[in-house]
Amino acid sequence: MPETSMVGTARRAALWAALAAATLLTSGCAGWVRDNLTQSPTPWRRIQPAALPVTLGESRDFAIVAARMRDTGTIYKTYNVALGNPTTLPGENRLTIDVQTLPDSLFGALVQPPRVFPVPLYTMETLTVTTRREFPDMKVKVADAARRNRYGDYDYATAQDEQNSCVLAWQLINDHKRVLPERIEAVRVEYRVCSVGSNIRALLAPFDGMTLTLPETILDAQDLGGM
Amino acid sequence: MSRSVLLSALLLGGIAATFGGPDALAQANGNGRALAPGVKVEVAPAPGSGPAPAAGKLDESALRYYARIGDGERLEAEIARLRALDPGWEPPKDLFAPQPAAAGVDESPFWTLLSAGKVAEARAAIAEQRRKSPAWQPSEKLLQELDLAESAGRIRSASDTKRWQDVVDAATANPEAVACNRLDNAWRLAEAYAELKQADRAFETYKTIVTTCPKAKERRDTLFKASRYLGPDRLRELAALGATANPATGEDYSTVRAAEAELETGRLLERLGNAKPGALSAADLSRVQGIIRDKQDADGAIALGWYFQKQKNYAEAQSWFSQANGWAPSDKAAEGLVLAYNGLGEKAQARAAAEPWKGKSSRIDQALKAVDPPRGPSGPGGGRSAPQGPSELDRALARHDFAGCIAIIRSSIERSGPTAVLLQQRGWCLLELKRPSEAEAAFVEAQALAAREPAPKPAKGGASATGKGSDRNPAASGLPQTPTPAQENAYGQAIARLTTGDVTGLTRDLPRANLTPTQKAEIRASLMATEAGRALEDKRYHDVLRLLDARRELEPEPRNLGILRGWALYNLMRYDEAYVQFKSIDDRLSTEDSREGVSTAWKTIYHDW
Repeated sequence: MPETSMVGTARRAALWAALAAATLLTSGCAGWVRDNLTQSPTPWRRIQPAALPVTLGESRDFAIVAARMRDTGTIYKTYNVALGNPTTLPGENRLTIDVQTLPDSLFGALVQPPRVFPVPLYTMETLTVTTRREFPDMKVKVADAARRNRYGDYDYATAQDEQNSCVLAWQLINDHKRVLPERIEAVRVEYRVCSVGSNIRALLAPFDGMTLTLPETILDAQDLGGM
Repeated sequence: MSRSVLLSALLLGGIAATFGGPDALAQANGNGRALAPGVKVEVAPAPGSGPAPAAGKLDESALRYYARIGDGERLEAEIARLRALDPGWEPPKDLFAPQPAAAGVDESPFWTLLSAGKVAEARAAIAEQRRKSPAWQPSEKLLQELDLAESAGRIRSASDTKRWQDVVDAATANPEAVACNRLDNAWRLAEAYAELKQADRAFETYKTIVTTCPKAKERRDTLFKASRYLGPDRLRELAALGATANPATGEDYSTVRAAEAELETGRLLERLGNAKPGALSAADLSRVQGIIRDKQDADGAIALGWYFQKQKNYAEAQSWFSQANGWAPSDKAAEGLVLAYNGLGEKAQARAAAEPWKGKSSRIDQALKAVDPPRGPSGPGGGRSAPQGPSELDRALARHDFAGCIAIIRSSIERSGPTAVLLQQRGWCLLELKRPSEAEAAFVEAQALAAREPAPKPAKGGASATGKGSDRNPAASGLPQTPTPAQENAYGQAIARLTTGDVTGLTRDLPRANLTPTQKAEIRASLMATEAGRALEDKRYHDVLRLLDARRELEPEPRNLGILRGWALYNLMRYDEAYVQFKSIDDRLSTEDSREGVSTAWKTIYHDW
């Protein structure tokens, strides 16, 4: 009898397995997407400037021309702000903000998209490539000392020709002690503008005066160092 | 038996120099002999084979295995290896005769697993066999081949994940894994050196390959691989060596020289595209002109045309654009021709050159604006009532000076106020300066202004000037439809949105957009191309093909999308189709991308990694 009952159990198990397979095959689960596409960046979508999580210091030259955003998985939100450009140089003036949040589920923690910005943000090699691309035929200089805005230190490079000046500034905000709320892992900000003349401070002024207005509380860095 | 010369020993020489210093190199080069100027070749037994065994004691198991499975190439290599170990050895006469089962264990299943690249499975099967027959020992050759396959795997995996020092380390541990019969690994080793900024060692590795590996195709492909890392002088040196050193009977090494010429042409054309006026030396210029004429290369002729156009040498520019148009008529060639004639002041010729493409190509319609600027208020860019020669703005456009275009339009607007035409032209110039957001804003502004300006007479082709369109669609009757100013602006906005990546919004708005059917088809084709690129990134390969097939119904497929199609086919494991796709592109114009496709598909089909 025990032998009979073992056979019976095995048959039942095989039947259940076959049923489960048949159910899967007939319920639309027979096909699957090879890779988890939810982790790929979405296409850019336009947003109103009012929906941006940032305000820049007042500037007549660098008014907001257009704003767009995209998501990468549930972790990253990237905002791209095209700014006015009073020069005849190629390339858009812009501010880019990448917000990295912490996943809100176990699944989110297990399946994460690749990071949308590198850390370190630049090496001398990648900075050279970027400045050459952004400011072709201009004299580029990387600033020796960092500057400071509301959210801490940032680095920048300048580019100049006979009539115009440009800056490329980049900042990684990851101060959890004071600046960032728990939910936000890091914020990467990059600012690229060109204008007529040679006043670098005026170019940096909107970035110095930038205020992040993300939905959660972001505080100023403690020591604003003469801002 | 120069073919028995092992590339690995040479590469080992380089590695030994890295890790063991000059002494190690000298030791490794003990048997070296010079075969070509600057080339020293090692004659060395296969690593692991130890001192040459007595005649009749050679392990022929691999030889018999290759004979049984009919792998002629490996059989030949194995015969060469055994002969190098024992010059008096002759292949057995019964090599191809069926063998009675050898006493003991038949190794064929292990070799089969090894050939299929299942090294771990082969090791497991050997362990299992040894458990069953403890007295049995696998042949020395089988163990060697297993070690080799594992080393090769380590090199590939380190290289795929860009762990360059690990590539060098793995090659050092088993130099035979980077021999001519595993050329891909040798290339990976050279690449690792280059990535580690050890340019000299990278060059030495490439040099060893082109002087020791016998096949002309291998030497030619090595040259292409090296072109990513080496400058023109070293490539020339490599080509000279590859074409002359250690020639094998029946191989045509002229292909190596041809490859070098092809690379040189590519370099010159690239420089031509980026060059500022006068930046190319007279010798380089004359050389590139000769090559373009010989190959009847229309794209090259267009590049030359723009080079001269930028120098305001309109006569020379006109001659090259004409040449390009003669070899392969295109709107790109015609655009240059229109602007060159315009630069020469030959407006009638310019209009005639534009005629075949008028209303069908936006680039021609734009170029024609330099010949016959649209009417507007008087001023540098605002059109004229009587012929006065090219305006300042026309001249800037003819020179492709888009920064100048922006400056001229700005001063014109400051002086006389904006017009729809000026704002639209500003939009096109901003697009050329890669400032699409501002361009879109300029087109929107132009459209708003055009709606307030008095409507011009109905444009040729029947569409109304307000852009609302007539009841009768000229495109439906087969006539090209000339876009109205409103359609031009809508088209500009669409191009700007495409450039900013607003694919979703544009796809949504396109059906309602006020565009001519030609413009709509062009935008739709661009959207599908963008989506196909995204699908490839997302590894949705069936989607790539679906989108490209649909796109091909609207427009012929350009080269870059053809390459995309090839990779989609490849990733769907439709290797034969992928090979045919890459090869057909490569046969027409060989580039680094097309060559990579051909080579990867070929290697996958023939397991030639």
